[in-house]
Order: sequence, then structure tokens, then C-alpha cells
Amino acid sequence: MNYDVIIIGSGVTGSAIARELSRYKLKIAVLDKASELPSGASRANSSMIHGGFDDEPGTVKSKFCVAGNKLWHKLKDELDVHLDECGSYVCAFNDKEAKHLEELLAQGKANGVPGVEIISGDKLREKEPKASVEIIAGLYAPEAAIINNFEAVNALIESAKINGAELFLETLVTGLLFDDEKNIRGVSTNKGEFLAPVVINAGGVHAGEIASWAGDTSFKIIPTKGEYFLLDRTTQGFIHSFLFSCPSKAGKGVTVLQTAEGNLMAGPTATEQEDPEDRSTTPEGLAEVLKGARRLVPDFPINLNITTFAGVRANTESGDFEISVLKNPRGFVNVAGIKSPGFTSAPAIAEHIAGLLKEELADRIKLTPNEKFIPTRKNIPRFLYLNMEERQELAKNDPAYAQIVCRCETVTEGQVLEAIRRGARTVTAVKMMTRAGTGRCQGGFCCPRVVEILSRELNIPLDEITRHGGESKLLVGKTKEFLLNK
Amino acid sequence: MTNKKIDVLIIGAGPAGVAAGIGAKKQGAENVVVLERDWDLGGILQQCIHPGFGLRTFREELTGPEYMHRFIQEAHEAGVEFRTNTMVFQIETQPPLSKGRGTAYGGGVVPVKVWTMNKERGIECLEPGAIVLTMGCRERPLGAIRIPGSRPAGIYTAGTAQRFVNMEGYMPGKKAVILGSGDIGLIMARRMIWEGAEVEGVYEVMSWPGGLRRNIAQCLDDYGIPFHLQTTVTKIHGQDRLEGVTVAKVDEKMKPIEGTERFVECDTLLLAIGLIPENELSRMAGIEIHPVTGGPVVNDLLQTSNPAVFAAGNVVIVYDLVDNVSDEGLIAGTNAAKFAAGKLSPEQKRIPVKGGQNVRLFSPQFVTGESDTIIYMRVTHPIEQACKVTAEPGLYTQKLRYARPGEMNEARIKASMIKANPDLKEIVIDVLPL
Repeated sequence: MNYDVIIIGSGVTGSAIARELSRYKLKIAVLDKASELPSGASRANSSMIHGGFDDEPGTVKSKFCVAGNKLWHKLKDELDVHLDECGSYVCAFNDKEAKHLEELLAQGKANGVPGVEIISGDKLREKEPKASVEIIAGLYAPEAAIINNFEAVNALIESAKINGAELFLETLVTGLLFDDEKNIRGVSTNKGEFLAPVVINAGGVHAGEIASWAGDTSFKIIPTKGEYFLLDRTTQGFIHSFLFSCPSKAGKGVTVLQTAEGNLMAGPTATEQEDPEDRSTTPEGLAEVLKGARRLVPDFPINLNITTFAGVRANTESGDFEISVLKNPRGFVNVAGIKSPGFTSAPAIAEHIAGLLKEELADRIKLTPNEKFIPTRKNIPRFLYLNMEERQELAKNDPAYAQIVCRCETVTEGQVLEAIRRGARTVTAVKMMTRAGTGRCQGGFCCPRVVEILSRELNIPLDEITRHGGESKLLVGKTKEFLLNK
Repeated sequence: MTNKKIDVLIIGAGPAGVAAGIGAKKQGAENVVVLERDWDLGGILQQCIHPGFGLRTFREELTGPEYMHRFIQEAHEAGVEFRTNTMVFQIETQPPLSKGRGTAYGGGVVPVKVWTMNKERGIECLEPGAIVLTMGCRERPLGAIRIPGSRPAGIYTAGTAQRFVNMEGYMPGKKAVILGSGDIGLIMARRMIWEGAEVEGVYEVMSWPGGLRRNIAQCLDDYGIPFHLQTTVTKIHGQDRLEGVTVAKVDEKMKPIEGTERFVECDTLLLAIGLIPENELSRMAGIEIHPVTGGPVVNDLLQTSNPAVFAAGNVVIVYDLVDNVSDEGLIAGTNAAKFAAGKLSPEQKRIPVKGGQNVRLFSPQFVTGESDTIIYMRVTHPIEQACKVTAEPGLYTQKLRYARPGEMNEARIKASMIKANPDLKEIVIDVLPL
């Protein structure tokens, strides 16, 4: 199959690039080994749209974070994505940390972050009454926001698809293809060859390995695990925004936040590991998160925990993003090491990449504007957030919107059917696109129903339905079969 | 769509809801409607195809569907209207007026608005004279106990697995470990064996079983399934499908003991780690929830903190036996009908019940003395010797051979004794060794 550009990885970076490049008359293929979006670090992170004061001026990160923040505030309407424009606070517990806030403030100003200011501990507690009484000062960033990261990645890729990009899931890139001049010709995958003169490596934790296939060993990805607690939505309003610990060399430290959907959340840790795919939580990691959460919010109601999870972010030795167009082979672009503030930066990185393609790879790819580009995309209706008239209207037009599938998050069958129409094939895909199964019973109620609907709509047997692709089948056969085979 | 005035609206057509419907009709309520979100009636008993139900009520061993069938038939005959595939997604309540005005609500005030959805009927707002909450309970998920490890397929609550096996006809796995010894877990251990699957063992973090002794005997012992007390799962392994779990002994503080860890290969982990009354709607209705039971605070009429809202069954407190749930449903339905007809005096006594020694939770929390009543309770710690349940001052004493957290106890309070004691300030219940 011939394309103009292949993007490896459909995390927030790959998806944002796909969407940006779909503004041009290009044949775009996005390849991802996962069975649903987002997977990897774009699924399991703090869902923060950072203010942009954290990054040292002059770093690549600092450039994209502030710009990305601005873009998200615009994209939320274009892409119909849930963005809670709640602001964030960095909390100082002692004079040393308070001093650090001043450095962050200066950094923020240098980076052009609007509205950042230092406030007293009391002022902070006026906004966040559950915050520790021991906090003496806070750095407030009004433009910081919290995004529904599941929705955001799906929205970007859907928007790209509306404008002609193609997404290939369960497609594992196994190598690069080169032409006679040793320049990029495409990629090989478990699903066959995909050909294109330009390959963009947005492979997340695997980006280092992929770059090495192109002979680029200039950076190494250090998989770094971050563990989290996610609490019941009855915690809504416990805190209203995003509380950071004072950052240290080890990272931004444990944070406590209210997700865009109103769950209380705490995390992450930052544990380096060998295995890029090990997303298991650990007793030590969870203990560290709980300790950190209680430092910020002493009454952190851990008894309302509904799940723990971990993400693996693609750290680099430099600590900075690794964005480059290789001179040799021609046609290979790295967009690697996109860790925090990666989610924030993604739309700005995407614009930058389009610029790079124009400037540096014009011989291989021509970016002609697509006049028919449609910037908007509508989300699947969110029954939970509609008013009663809207709900009645929806149910009148399609009775499937009058049937609840997920009771915790009030997700209707209509939403599940729409997710399937938009490409969901696994229980997790339905979860990412509709939130069915993200609530307090964690799928106890809706899982059998979602499995049934997937089976019915896709016309495949119940025991072929998977949780998240691969070997993650939920059922192993019909009753009595084992007895007959015994 | 009818706009007929509903006298009593019941939410959930499990054993409590169906009995409430019967109770309300028998009390004379004209329009009694039971809403059910599933496509059929019976609640969780639909999937409980094992025998052992109704020993008290019918003096015979019935399966869950058989037990429910008798009640459903009676309800149909009594003229109860059922609406299946109907979900309540919002309840709005008016705060009750202050007491001493004859009725708790002023003229024309609708005490509750209930929003429902159904494919045929669309979205409707019902305004009944009284409602009965009978939503039952749900299972605690894995996240509630925060076990570290990965998140593969193959981890189910025992009830979800039971639905797959008994209602869909599909097996969740071939080799199971069961964490927790709640009754559904024990029943599912046996069920998996019957279907040719393996059950490596049942692991319980406490030093006593969560479920009934009879289920330990009939579901585990009879099939040689190992039962490990004071042992828990400490880690989950596997990327796509579950590949195994680490189990470890725990100390008195329930902390895993180092060096006792053992890897157990399995493709399925079933969780029977407790049931929680399902009170999303109760919270929406703004009624008071008891911090220990997790269910509404009720009096012996099963009236909640909102006089127009009644509650019965596992939504109030998780029972061992369905017979008790049906009994309570009947009481709630009867009193809801009385309320809807303006026949329930707001000037009732409100004698608080206090949990004394070795009582972890109990219901009801208040007694009116209008009729004989049963206070259901669970002990905090097992007493493996002769002991007694008492309700002071001098209201009830019952000797027991033992008392166990997995098996409910009762204190039966006679209305006549409450009436004979007009100065009664509180009732204290204890479970003590003899």
C-alpha cells in the first residue's frame, strides 16, 4: 500500500501529527500495534494540560508546552473534547520550596506563560479547602487545564480520518524499508508492507528502538513507570483543580487532581525500568503515591479508590524531547521522548512537524493545502451531561439512547453502538470512547452487556471478543464444552 | 403513555421489590409499579440456579428462579405492574416539611420525581405517592482492595462470572483462583468445577469465612477445593490474559508476611470480596445513608429520612438469606402504600437502636413500636462458643451456639414491650459470650 507519509504510533503525538498533516493533500497511514486508542502513555497519564512554567527556557519542551496549551484551549471546541479549565497550583511546604516557586514564576514568565502568580497558602486553601494546612504558598497557573485524554486522542484521530487519514490498529511495525539509495521507502509490519517516502517515528517507549533501525542511536528511551490511584466520582469537588508537589530532579512528584470527569486521582511515581511494556502497579509505588497524596491532601479518601493503574512514559537521558529529521536515511523523522508535558505539547509539535516537512523534506513530500479540510468533529453524545430535553430528544430519535449499558457512568446503548460505528472492536475501546466501565463497579455490570453488543454488532461469537486485543479474550468457550472434551 | 397516578413506585424487581409490590397491593394501593432495568424480573436470583432458597418461607429447597417465580406469580395475581428494561437515572425530592402539620408534605407537593428511560416509552418523569428503593447490592471490585500488578482479561467479580456462565452460557476461564469467601464466590467455585474447570483454591484475608458455613461445606469441602484463611492475593500477573497470581499469608494487621509468597498459575480470578448496598439513587434522592451499613438509615417501617421514600432488602443491609429480603420488602411495600394513602401517622415514636458489644452493623436504626420488628445484625468478631443476643433494656434475649460475621443474627422486638415502656430512650443490642 502506497502512502505519502506513515506515522508510527497513534498516541497523542502521532494522532496530533496525523490530524495536522490532514490539512494537506496527503495520503496518510497511522499504524499502531494496539487494538484501541489511546494505549501506552497517552492512556495512562495525569491528563494535564500544563501551564508551561516547569520547563527550563531554551529547552525544546518549553517551546511547545506554552504553544500547545493555547492550542488545546481552541481544539477543545473544534474537536468537542472535555477540557476542564481549572488551573493548577504548585504547593510549597517550606521556605526552600517557596523560593523554588519564585524560580518557577520567573521561568514561567520567560516562557511566556500567561497569568502565573504566587499566592499564599491561605489563598490557595480558599480555592482548595482540602489542601494541607502546611502549605505556605502556591504557584497558580490559570491557563493550566485537565483534559479527558481518552476522548482527546480519539478526537484527534477521528478528525484526521474525517480528512482522509487511515488508521491501522493491531499493526506492529517490525522494520524499516529502504530504497536503493538507502533512503526510507516504507515499513514492514505484521500486516504486510506500507510504503511511503516519509516515516514519522512517534513510537513512544519504542521510539528508541525504531530510530536505531534507521541507524540513529543518538538518544535512548528510558521507560519510566508512573503509578496512579483513581477514585470514585462521588469524590467530585473534593478538590477542583490540580495540585502539584514542588518539582525536584526526580520529576514533578506526586500530584492530586480532579479529572475532567470529576474523579479524584493521585500519582504518578517515576520509576525507571527496562521493560517498556510493564504497566503493572507495585506495592512500593502505590505506597509512595498514597504518601505523596496525603501530604498534599491529608484527608485523601483512599477508601473510595476504584482502580490503580500505571503508565510507562518515554523518558530520555537529556530529559528533553528528541525531534529531528535524519539526514541519512532521508525521509525519517523522530518525534521521540515525548514525556510530560507531551500531551500538552502534542498539537504544537504537530504544527512544527508540518513545518519541518515543508522545509527539510520538500524533495520527498509536498504539502499542498487541502481546501476541503474540516476542522470540526462531534463527540459521541454524552448522555450523562445532557439536559433532560436533550436526552428526551435523543431517545425519541434513537431508542438505543433510552437503554442504559453502564450504570455508573450513565452510558447508553446508543453511545456504545456509535463507538462501534466509529471503529471500537474491544471492550476497552468502548470504554475509551464512551467511558462505559470507568465507574465504580469497573465493568462488573456493563462488561457482559458490552461483550454482548460487540458480538451482536460485529457478528462474531461472544468468546472471540477481547478485553484489549491480542490474547485478552474474556471468555474461553461455551459451558459444557470442557466436560465434553474431558 | 399513561398519566395515571402511581401510588407506589418500586425501583428494582429483585426479591425485595417484588415482595414490596405484593405488600403495597395487599395494603390497598391502586397503582403499584415496579421498575426493572434488566430484561426480566427476579434480579440477581435469575442467575442463582443452585438450590437452597426459600427454606424458611416455603420449607423447601428452591433454586433462585423457582423462588422468584412464586413471588412474581403472586405479584401478577395481585395486579402489580412491572416495567422491564426500564432504568431510573434520576430522582428529585422535595425536602419534607417540618413535622407536626398532619402530613409530612403540604397540599399538592409532589414528594418525589423519578426519571426513567425505556426503549419503547422513551424518557419519562413519574410522580408517585411513595417510592420503595429495592436496588439490591453490588460487588466490590478489584480496585477497592488495591492489589498491585497488571490488568489482564480474566478478572471478574463472582457475580459477573455467574451471569456469563448461567445466563449467557459461556465460561470465563479454565483454571480459577477465588479471592474472598463471600457466598457467590463459594457457589461459583462449585459451579466452575461442575463445568469441568479447575479451581485452585479459595483465599480469604480474614481468619473466618465471609459466607455461610453450609456453603463452605457444600461448595468447597464436598469437592476438595482448598480453602486458605488469612491468605490473600498480593500480585496479578499477565499482559493480555491472566497468567497467575501471587498469594501470601497475612498477619493480624492483614499485611502480607514476607517469605510466604507463592505463585499460582491460573487464567481466571474471581472476586468475592464483599457486597455493597447500591445507593447511587438513594444519594440522588438526598436520603441519609448510614456510614457503616452503606444503606439508607431506616426505622422499623423501613421508612428513610425522607418520609415518602422507603427501602428494603440488600439496598439497606446485605442479608444472608433471601427469605429475610422478601420479608422486609413486604413491610416496606405495605408502609409505602399506607403513606401514599395518607394513613401513616407522621407522629411516630423514634427510638434509636444502638450497637453495643460485638455488633458491627445492624438495621433498622430506629424503632417506632407500631408493630413487632426484627433487628438484623452482624457481629464484629466470631464467638465460637455458647453466646447470646440481647436487646436492652430487657427486650430480647436469645441463646446461640456460636456467632459469626458471615451469619446474621436477629433480635426480635415485640411492639407490646415498647408500648409497655413509654420512657424507653434507646435500645442497645449486644452479642456476648455466655
